[in-house]
Amino acid sequence: MIAYATSSSAMFAASHKNPLLSTNHTTTTTNRNFQIRCQRNLAPVEQRWMFTDSNFTGPDVWNKTWYPKAEDHVNTEKTWYVVDATDKILGRLASTIAIHIRGKNLATYTPSVDMGAFVIVVNADKVAVSGKKRTQKLYRRHSGRPGGMKVETLDQLQQRIPERIIEHAVRGMLPKGRLGRDLFTHLKVYTGPDHPHQAQTPIDLPIRDKRIQKQT
Amino acid sequence: MTRIRRGYIAWRRRTKIRLFASSFRGAHSRLTRTITQQKIRALVSAHRDRDRQKINFRHLWITRINAAIRERGACHSYSRLINDLYKRQLLLNRKILAQIAISNRNCLYMISNEIIKEVSWKESTETELPGE
Repeated sequence: MIAYATSSSAMFAASHKNPLLSTNHTTTTTNRNFQIRCQRNLAPVEQRWMFTDSNFTGPDVWNKTWYPKAEDHVNTEKTWYVVDATDKILGRLASTIAIHIRGKNLATYTPSVDMGAFVIVVNADKVAVSGKKRTQKLYRRHSGRPGGMKVETLDQLQQRIPERIIEHAVRGMLPKGRLGRDLFTHLKVYTGPDHPHQAQTPIDLPIRDKRIQKQT
Repeated sequence: MTRIRRGYIAWRRRTKIRLFASSFRGAHSRLTRTITQQKIRALVSAHRDRDRQKINFRHLWITRINAAIRERGACHSYSRLINDLYKRQLLLNRKILAQIAISNRNCLYMISNEIIKEVSWKESTETELPGE
């Protein structure tokens, strides 16, 4: 049932060379659309004597935790999601977006590698907040000079730059650091109902949170 | 008095340390006093992180298993899976489960379905026992 066993028997039927001693390119197909690529499963040079007469093939799955190769996180092959932010609670939406951008919903999650997807948010100016946050939530920024603190409420910011609200929320939920800044560039926020990414064929973001839609 | 050099004793000691720090960046591989300090820091980090490594990997496996299980549906979660594993007395550890989750997702779903079925069957039979 394990995919490696079938590939090993096929390889041994084909040739009697031990794959660990010779170059070999294998791809193990798994469930869903994900395919782990394992190329060059060679043993280190000083250890090849151990594998001369054994039938180990492929990487050591049970002793080395999987780490993604470069082919596993090419940006061109990542999924694109689209969300309509109309009447969705700001924080809950930002939380779901951040999880998908970081890749924590995937079994191939790695904290040091960008395995997440791209997320497009449309209708960003219609995002909803509960309570009195619309007039009371403050967005602060500082210009760096003394006395340079600028304070704005949520509705003022929404009239000026509506995208910044969602961007601010998601940025606070992504990791801070070099990787976090790269992850933030995978978020695309637009004010109107359309977006210029039709070529990437985005699919609808699956939202598991039941309380994300504002109760009117 | 003639001048007496101290010889090669200190030089030999420092060369060993220099070899250790030969791949460090900038002054950390060139200046003797800095090299001794950086070697000590490197060894301390390695010692502390060998213990952290076990913790970190376990966290990573747990996150991966959680992600793979939650894709099944709203009522599936890592905590319930582990609870069912213990009830069924299945000895698979998180490392193996995470590797199964990545390489062979169907297998993991088969395992989880089996233990959920078995656990729910056992619970339904236990409630029929008299004496409550």
